[in-house]
Amino acid sequence: MSALAIQLAGSLIAILALAWIAHRLGLGGDARIRSEGEARALADEAISGFEPVEIALDKAGMGALYRDARGRVLLLRRHGSHWASRLLDSHAHTRLDRGFLTLATADRRFGSVTFDLGDKAAIWAASLRRIAG
Amino acid sequence: MPDFDPTTFAIPLFVALVLAEMLWAWKTSPHAYEPRDTLTSLAFGLGSTVAGALAGGAFLALFMWAYQFRIFDFGPQWWTVWWAWPLCFVLDDLKYYWVHRFGHRVRWFWASHVNHHSSQHYNLSTALRQTWTGFLTLGFVFALPLVLLGFHPVMIAICGGFNLIYQFWIHTEAIRKMPRWFEAAMNTPSHHRVHHATNPRYLDRNYAGVFIVWDRLFGTFEPESDGERIRYGIVRQLGTFNLIWSVFHEWVGMLGDIWRSPWRHKLSYLLREPGWSHDGSRETSAIIRARWEERRQQVAPENAIAEPREAA
Repeated sequence: MSALAIQLAGSLIAILALAWIAHRLGLGGDARIRSEGEARALADEAISGFEPVEIALDKAGMGALYRDARGRVLLLRRHGSHWASRLLDSHAHTRLDRGFLTLATADRRFGSVTFDLGDKAAIWAASLRRIAG
Repeated sequence: MPDFDPTTFAIPLFVALVLAEMLWAWKTSPHAYEPRDTLTSLAFGLGSTVAGALAGGAFLALFMWAYQFRIFDFGPQWWTVWWAWPLCFVLDDLKYYWVHRFGHRVRWFWASHVNHHSSQHYNLSTALRQTWTGFLTLGFVFALPLVLLGFHPVMIAICGGFNLIYQFWIHTEAIRKMPRWFEAAMNTPSHHRVHHATNPRYLDRNYAGVFIVWDRLFGTFEPESDGERIRYGIVRQLGTFNLIWSVFHEWVGMLGDIWRSPWRHKLSYLLREPGWSHDGSRETSAIIRARWEERRQQVAPENAIAEPREAA
């Protein structure tokens, strides 16, 4: 039992040390969306075949909102050094503050995001409220 | 009787190699690691060790009980029968292929195995991202034929340990391709990158543990394509580093689906493939691949027309 406890304690220390080293080495990078073309590619990676007809990019490149021809709205946001997405449904929550649009999906663990969409924020907020019903 | 767990002895090597790969990433590919992802993956590894220690005794007892019904007997000193070891290793790897395939094709099994795939990174820490809930599936049933053939449960456990150790080093982007003869027979970083990919072309391919020949034999092999950037993780990325949610999210999702679905569909949410839904509102890997293939076929003729052709 004590051998197992020592092994577990040693493993825990090693884990924390490795994560700390990864942090100190600055691994992970700073992922940003830098163009509409890149945003399109990320949407297709998120949902294979998703072809946006409208795109709103966060000004800092931290995420994007998309709408396809079927009216589906996709929210893409940064997750670590990669990206994660959710289709917005009637449970989506939106809040508009000038050019900033805050969005929360039905998936609580996905969290909420605030995008700087500038002039597009009000237009997207209005259309998303229609989805939320 | 040997009292030996190879994975325990391999842990210092695992730590050293993760560190070495981090240094490689620091020099050449910083995005290959993400500290919070690394922490989650390694915590998965530690938790799976604890879960394995807690549940392992019960499975060993079950296998020892089944062992009395064995067809062949390697004798009281079974560990001295040298040829039984490589034979057991190969058969255990075949068993691994099928457990693994079920792990991807049956949602009950996937609820546990998804843990190994939910990182969006592909590095040596991902190899240690092991499930905590394997004991809640029927994976152990696949080992029973080996026990009944006469392989001692301890021999099977040791071979399984070496199998896991082999699979550690193939979780890397640092190695592109191994020599051709090696790629033909063995599982390699290239083959296993395909397995961890969510690109439609690669979904549910390359289930092998050590020998890639099983995939070639059973029709699930897909080579890595040079021109296609791999996206790792799961079809619906987690979007959180929360360890507890990462461990249990698919169990919660599956049980929720069973609870909400009509009676006649409940069992299907347990036994059918991930992504299946009774109302067709979701996509399985086969549907995703078929639709991708359809789009590809549509684009290909258009390109063929658009591309200028040389005169014969």
